Amino acid sequence: MTSVPIHDTGALFQIAEPTDQRRAQRRPGRGIGIDLGTTNSLVALAPHGAAPRVLRDSSGSGLVPSVVAYTVDPPLVGRAAQALQAEHPSQVLSSVKRLMGRGLADINFAHPYHLSEETPGLLRIDVGSQVGSPLGSPGASRRVTPTEVSAAILRELKLRAEAELGEPCDGAVITVPAYFDDAQRQATRDAGRIAGLQVYRLLAEPTAAALAYGLDRGGEGLFAVYDLGGGTFDVSLLRLHKGVFQVLATGGDSALGGDDFDRALAARLLERAGVGEPTRNQLDAARLAARAAKERLTEETATRVALPGLPELEVTRAEFEALIEPLAQRTLRACRQALKDAGLRAPELDGVVLVGGSTRVPKIRELVAETFKRPPLSDIDPDEVVAWGAAIQADILSGSAREGVTLLDVVPLSLGLETMGGIVEKIIPRNATIPIAARQVFTNYAEHQTGMVIHVVQGERELARDCRSLARFDLKGIPRLPPSMARVEVTFQLDADALLTVSARELMTGVRQSVEVKPTYGLSEEEVDRLVMDSLDHAGDDYARRNAAEARVELGRVVLALRTAVAEVGHLRELLPDDERARLEAALADADAVMADADAVADPLNRARTALEKVSEPFARRRMERALNAGMAGKSLHDIERALADEDALQEKRAGHTPELLEPEEP
Amino acid sequence: MPSVTVTSRAAKVMRDQLARRGTPQASIRLGIRGGGCTGYSYLFEFEDKPPRANDLVVEQDGVRVVVDPKSLFYLDGTEVDFETGMRGHGFKFKNPNTKDACGCGESISF
Repeated sequence: MTSVPIHDTGALFQIAEPTDQRRAQRRPGRGIGIDLGTTNSLVALAPHGAAPRVLRDSSGSGLVPSVVAYTVDPPLVGRAAQALQAEHPSQVLSSVKRLMGRGLADINFAHPYHLSEETPGLLRIDVGSQVGSPLGSPGASRRVTPTEVSAAILRELKLRAEAELGEPCDGAVITVPAYFDDAQRQATRDAGRIAGLQVYRLLAEPTAAALAYGLDRGGEGLFAVYDLGGGTFDVSLLRLHKGVFQVLATGGDSALGGDDFDRALAARLLERAGVGEPTRNQLDAARLAARAAKERLTEETATRVALPGLPELEVTRAEFEALIEPLAQRTLRACRQALKDAGLRAPELDGVVLVGGSTRVPKIRELVAETFKRPPLSDIDPDEVVAWGAAIQADILSGSAREGVTLLDVVPLSLGLETMGGIVEKIIPRNATIPIAARQVFTNYAEHQTGMVIHVVQGERELARDCRSLARFDLKGIPRLPPSMARVEVTFQLDADALLTVSARELMTGVRQSVEVKPTYGLSEEEVDRLVMDSLDHAGDDYARRNAAEARVELGRVVLALRTAVAEVGHLRELLPDDERARLEAALADADAVMADADAVADPLNRARTALEKVSEPFARRRMERALNAGMAGKSLHDIERALADEDALQEKRAGHTPELLEPEEP
Repeated sequence: MPSVTVTSRAAKVMRDQLARRGTPQASIRLGIRGGGCTGYSYLFEFEDKPPRANDLVVEQDGVRVVVDPKSLFYLDGTEVDFETGMRGHGFKFKNPNTKDACGCGESISF
């Protein structure tokens, strides 16, 4: 904060209305919740705090098959598309969710499509009438990405919602599986954007289910979400901490679901009817009959099944349950494994939520209750519960006033990171309009620093110890680099409901980690005021302490760099003559003495640094020349890199340096 | 004591604007906000509440300009003036503490 006066900046200012009277642009009640499923998708509304409601078509169905037919332009979506599937298998696309954010190399399951990857990582599906013809050939070929296909589904859902709302929607919450990686999430976000939706947030499906039951109201808890759909099974263990859901573990089977129950029962029916080798038609008919019988057996203990051209059969619930038992056991094994992965025991859970149509089967409920040692929550239609949670979240994010939820317009207290010297680097300033995202690059302080501490703090004070500590994690596995050479990009993203996601990424290796916190959790308005007033009362001290801490970090860095250089090449007299070395050692000793005083203010620390820099200047210049000469002689690339690194670090410092992060303490 | 000054010309425009706003008794708050990657910027707005206990209050020709003590560290010695020129008219902050400013002068660094 050394000041270099430049007087005339040229900008002219106008007096603005007070900040707290400016309001973020939101349209309350016009947020929609979307469950974008592999097989079926749903859209739900919960305007202005109302109970969620899934939007249905004229036949009363809320499920929109996730099927898109490219036989016409614009494409057909849903049931109309499904009807064309048998006739045009390569032009009618279903289950594209499994292709989202994937490259050709990731596709290790069977599918009927003609896929290509002209751009690395960008999968395309050929939906032309003459599949496989080269790009650009007349008429025949048309390639779409899985993202575009999903966008077509989302657009259909958006239209359904807008027809109900009678006006454009403001934005959407879209659910994704908890295990979706960044690429899959980004592809989903992109699909939303292509569909013309403002994606407020992607929400993990199990979290949405938990929100539908209002499990977040308790503030703390451990929950399991058991999701058995038509073709997939997922189990997730969630921790609710300070109002934020965190996925502790996931497990499942991407090829196990209610369709398998139907197949097992169909095979039994055909066997009992004495059909040894069923035709395709017989098989299809048996499956439909089995599915209907399965559904009836939810209410009844026995039912009669008639297959075309065959005598009527009776199926008991007990027989059906025995058939699906091995399949059900597979899901329970995944549940036990997930508990183990999360380091939890079933009795520690505070609730279990059922998701997916197949959880209507009484036997499944019974086995889930047994495994988790408690009856599962099942009041909400398991096909709709995820969409419900998305709708509630979307309503909150649209700015509706809901009981117990206050949506903020501006950041009440600054959010930042602790850097070397305990100094707070503010990333999102107080009074910034929410939602907001900000990014800053940090660097390492010491050589061989393989980890960095990401300590997220909140408050207006200049030193971390005077701020509220929100979260802390270590980013490990960063490459060993000279001081100021590592690059860690930290992103703060504050959502419309003030959920803060802090993610840190090392730019060379891509190593990353993130954390979610609710900065406003447990923070009253009075406390915000007090913290702000505190910072004003301590303005003078803070300013001095921050300057001192910065000066200390700077001096420490110079001392460290010089000590390293002396240890490496100090024995070479042509680089460091004896008299110069003596003066340098003396200046280093002076610096140590100044730093030994923990209460030293900025001035003596800065003076010691200036003295060191002055006395070491010839040494630095000779090292640089030597490194360059060595490089030209093709000798040591390391030295050149080293010299350039030093030079870079110096440049960086002159340009206003990049703050350094602390090294984690070894456990 | 750190201070901020307001020219008579600036005070006159403030007084006119306060009158036009229908709040002749209100103050004008000058401050610094931000930090970190978004940089610092000036806060310059009407203040309807009375000055806080530790605010610096500058009175000039009947107009009150208030500055919080934290911002004052970055604003010490600043002169608030009003200019009319080729780029329109507006208030100008002559701040001796700034090290650098972006092209438009709205973001500053210290």
